[in-house]
Amino acid sequence: MSGYSGSEPLGRTAALEGTPTSARSQAASASQSHRLRSGGLIDRQQPLQFSFDGKVMSGFAGDTLASALVANGVKLVARSFKYHRPRGIITAGSEEPSALVEMRSGARKEPNTRATTQELYDGLVAQSQNRWPSLRRDFMSINQLAAPIFVAGFYYKTFMWPAKFWEKVYEPLIRRAAGLGKSAELPDPDHYDKAWAHCDVLVIGGGAAGLSAALAAGRAGSRVILVEEDSRLGGRLLSDGGEIDGMHAEEWVRRTTDELTALPNVRVMVRTALFGVYDGGVYAALERVNDHVPVPGPHQVRQRVWRIVAKRSVVTAGAIERPIVFPGNDRPGVMMASAVRTYVHRFAAMPGRKVALFTNNDDGWRTVEAIQQAGGDIAAVIDPRGKVPAEYQALAELSDLRVLSGGVSDVKGGVDGVRGVVVTDNNGRTQQIDADCLAVSGGWNPNVGLSCFHRGRPVWRDDIAAFVPGDSPKGMTTAGAANGEFSLGACLRDGHAAGAAAAAECGASGNAGEASEAGDEVYAISPLWQVKAKGKAFVDFQHDVTASDVTLAQREGFESVEHLKRYTTLGMATDQGKTSNITGLAIMAEATGRTIPQTGTTIYRPPYAPVAIGALAGHHRDENFHAWRLTPSHHWAAARGAVFVDTGLWKRAQWYPQPGEKDWIESVTREVLAVRNGVGFCDVSTLGKVDVRGADAGTFLDRVYINAFSSLAVGKARYGLMLREDGIVMDDGTTSRIAEDHYFLTTTTAKAGPVMAHLEFCRQVLWPELDVQLSSASDQWAQFSIAGPNTRKLLQELVDPSEDMSNEGFPFMGAREVKLRGGVTARLFRISFSGEIAFEISVPARYGAAMAQNLMIAGRDLGVTPYGTEALGVMRIEKGHVAGPELNGTTTADDLGLGKMMSKKKDFIGRVMAGREALTAPDRQVVVGIKPLDQKRRLRSGAHVLPKGAIPGPETDQGYVTSVCYSPMLEQWIGLGLVERGRERFGEIVRIHDPLRNEDYEAEICNPVFYDPEGARQRG
Amino acid sequence: MVDYLWNTQSPLQKALVPGRHGAAGAHVGVTLNEVRDIVLVQVMARRGKAAEAAKAAKKLFGIEAPATPKAVTGKAATLIWSGPDQFTVIAPRADEASQLAAMAQVFAGSASLSDQSDGRCLIRVSGPRGRDAIAKFSSLDLHDLAFPVGAAANTSVDHTAVNLWREANGADGHPVYNMLVFTSFADSLWHTIVDASLEYGVEAASARAA
Repeated sequence: MSGYSGSEPLGRTAALEGTPTSARSQAASASQSHRLRSGGLIDRQQPLQFSFDGKVMSGFAGDTLASALVANGVKLVARSFKYHRPRGIITAGSEEPSALVEMRSGARKEPNTRATTQELYDGLVAQSQNRWPSLRRDFMSINQLAAPIFVAGFYYKTFMWPAKFWEKVYEPLIRRAAGLGKSAELPDPDHYDKAWAHCDVLVIGGGAAGLSAALAAGRAGSRVILVEEDSRLGGRLLSDGGEIDGMHAEEWVRRTTDELTALPNVRVMVRTALFGVYDGGVYAALERVNDHVPVPGPHQVRQRVWRIVAKRSVVTAGAIERPIVFPGNDRPGVMMASAVRTYVHRFAAMPGRKVALFTNNDDGWRTVEAIQQAGGDIAAVIDPRGKVPAEYQALAELSDLRVLSGGVSDVKGGVDGVRGVVVTDNNGRTQQIDADCLAVSGGWNPNVGLSCFHRGRPVWRDDIAAFVPGDSPKGMTTAGAANGEFSLGACLRDGHAAGAAAAAECGASGNAGEASEAGDEVYAISPLWQVKAKGKAFVDFQHDVTASDVTLAQREGFESVEHLKRYTTLGMATDQGKTSNITGLAIMAEATGRTIPQTGTTIYRPPYAPVAIGALAGHHRDENFHAWRLTPSHHWAAARGAVFVDTGLWKRAQWYPQPGEKDWIESVTREVLAVRNGVGFCDVSTLGKVDVRGADAGTFLDRVYINAFSSLAVGKARYGLMLREDGIVMDDGTTSRIAEDHYFLTTTTAKAGPVMAHLEFCRQVLWPELDVQLSSASDQWAQFSIAGPNTRKLLQELVDPSEDMSNEGFPFMGAREVKLRGGVTARLFRISFSGEIAFEISVPARYGAAMAQNLMIAGRDLGVTPYGTEALGVMRIEKGHVAGPELNGTTTADDLGLGKMMSKKKDFIGRVMAGREALTAPDRQVVVGIKPLDQKRRLRSGAHVLPKGAIPGPETDQGYVTSVCYSPMLEQWIGLGLVERGRERFGEIVRIHDPLRNEDYEAEICNPVFYDPEGARQRG
Repeated sequence: MVDYLWNTQSPLQKALVPGRHGAAGAHVGVTLNEVRDIVLVQVMARRGKAAEAAKAAKKLFGIEAPATPKAVTGKAATLIWSGPDQFTVIAPRADEASQLAAMAQVFAGSASLSDQSDGRCLIRVSGPRGRDAIAKFSSLDLHDLAFPVGAAANTSVDHTAVNLWREANGADGHPVYNMLVFTSFADSLWHTIVDASLEYGVEAASARAA
């Protein structure tokens, strides 16, 4: 016998046993008025201080926040979602709907944390939620007075009109009033990560059945992972005890844990909650690595999401005790019977001094002995079945138990919890019983959530008045209480059999051993879902859904469980209705005159338990949101102060600001003028590069490009355009012939990946008969564009004197290897994007930084200027070259002004479809140049092009501006656009309409080649 | 006349900071090495010439080229399967030009070669917790039974392609994994690998291939 440690003697057997052994634990005990003197899986040598709503209290290592609150006699812990009703702790597990608190503070603040799963640590700080100004005096509880209007469908009925009020008025108002905790609104300072794990057999849940299953599968030799959401293994054995193989249950748990831990093929993961089941045997679990300490240690993560790949899984996730719906069933101090036993037995904390028990099944009766052994009083047992179960008759007589046949029809009390229980007996007579705690058991629901994730429908079993798993996901079996086997002996046998079978199916041939043995206690139940009486009777505690909301939904036609759920929000809170769904649909079944299985369940979907977005993001946040790619000259450019821009995954130098430049336009203009008047260079390594080899490489390229490549001479480059199968342009770039059987193909930066995939598809699937080999060489080469009238002079400095760099020796579109001074060989291509004399030079990537340095040295006397992607873009727009904004997945070759490139002598991908009527229509939008009439006017891309004087609208819209820049050569803003019949309209004045930026002005349509239209400069 | 110097730069120039990182303590959990100065050539059999290419590989390296996802080590080179009728040759860089020339000669007519010595970066992950670190960014099952010494895989890390293979255990008895990553992604993936390893304590270094 044990007793309370508080100053006030409690109950009739308040024997004082066990003495605290240290001064600190003695001090710690002072606040713990409801802590038993001995027993429990807590470490009394490790007292812990914590605070709740600013009040400092103490508990012990091994406590949860909930058990510590119970030990401190705290009953009121929360306010409800809608009515702000005072709420207490209802369960002792992850299904908790009510006791949600805000954990920690500042950037680490975490709302809606279940006090029942939060392990206590020294210095823990928690706050109650959804109340103002305080938990005891919550102003918002006046909502209760307006309760008649907050019924099911309240939002739909109230905020219907005027419709325009929804976004601006109603929604912000509702959002402010709704919700429970408040999030931190600061970046989370902790780290999270994700990891993969693999096994043959995944056992989900570490209670009697799960331990049994893991042991069988482990002994048989299969690779086993056992996940348990709690911080320790044992499940209900930690709360209900019992005898297994002749030893005490806790001893059995210890031995089994030791054996599992010693098996090298078994991995035990505690604090790890399985939350998702996905295709291909992939399971997701959340490990709360460091939620049980104030701050994770250095380089430690707070939480980790596991993706577990398993050949087989055994769900041993137990069962969840269900409440009974009656008026006042949400009063602080009304608690599930199993939770009462957990607090008493596992945590040595008494939820009440006089406990009334309301049960419709034999299992609830276990609570009587648990309370009595702890020295508490059983005020009465209320059992609607009208007689004491055989197993408990002796106990009832011995302790002169007050047993009432009937149901609880009201609960008296206030913010401090239960004071009395009103019982209406089976003859309709009522009486009130003094009690400060009401333990309730409406029976047990096997935890079918995980086994129903793949649209499996659970199957109703009348004998236990509950659903059991039906079609489980592939490779999954269920055992123990999760399978409707409620006795300890059955759990052990069922778990063992399931574990052994799963291991055998994975090919394990070892000896799984024998199942442990325990008794088979009787579980008899008479379903009772609801006691009908006056007053608010809650079904879903977290969303404040009452029994009358369910029947109202039925009267208003929302009979389907999916409609019921959405109309009343039943089961839609963070607990996903673990304690409420089945009860809700049972009430609906009664209201509609159908059976429960006829009424059916809603679809089960992941996550089974709440998962923080931070945990799902893991490492991929902030600068690690996605991978990045660096060019070979990146660090060189960074050292010169380059401003970088993200282009896809690449970080590219956008421009190189110089001291004194007031904005980016000034920097870019300087870079453009330096190129046009002298020489500059730009890292273009981001272009996709593909080595195309083999005897049929030329034929292959003829088929993927619209123009011919088999006719290209070795040592020459050619601009190529490729279409998609549907005739739309896919990509462009230059391709050079390095040798008879070797081409070097380049793509745009953006399409490097897709083009490579397309080419591989062509090679492997369309034309496997061709002798072609492809390899991506994008990262092999550092490639620079060198452009400007002084390019040749610069290259003559850098290239070995033996190389002929004259216009004849290295003509426009020439491509060949050259030796560089200092002993490196480069590939040189005379191609131009800027319209100036230009070369692209490639060296192996290891020389990329050196190349940038050497270009600076070689061009020092010429004023060589590194330029970024902006200047590159300006020069291509001045030359009317198309790029991403024009190659936008809607344009044809002809739209781009490149229709003449389409060969008539050969077939190529996209040829036939490009001839479709709509793709050759004369009124298509084609690429043109656009110049605002007002030369000071800034042109912006995205602006619409309309006929002069037209009223803006879809009928008058003729196209839009695609690319713009400030042109240093024309000294005004210019742009490219896609405009209907554009090429016939050079010189026409059009209206530019930009409703997004409220701009409207006139511009002239012109030839897209603004600068050097004859192209003399690049050939010179 | 100016002397042009062609200093080489690793893609991990900035990212790799040699020395101890992360959790302190007597033991290093994860050892990370950039293996520098490699010759890396992709060998792709010409159409219908896979058998000839395999014969050529045997002649040059004294070992059969792998026909399934495996890595085999022959004379002065490791051959790693990289696709049907394709494999990658990795060798310590000595006289690069003659190494490439020798390959060009022996594979002439039977395979196309693509020099990727600068296209990939080789990162070696070892140490008692190396496997745990890799589990954070790779979906591969690296258990001894599933991924023994010599196993290889084309896989993805941070949505980018990686070749991963296991070589003989290190002197400490722990497994050793090699990751071949695209050069432009090396800086990013190195950060991912280090982040995954910090909680175990990291020793980072770079070394010439041997």
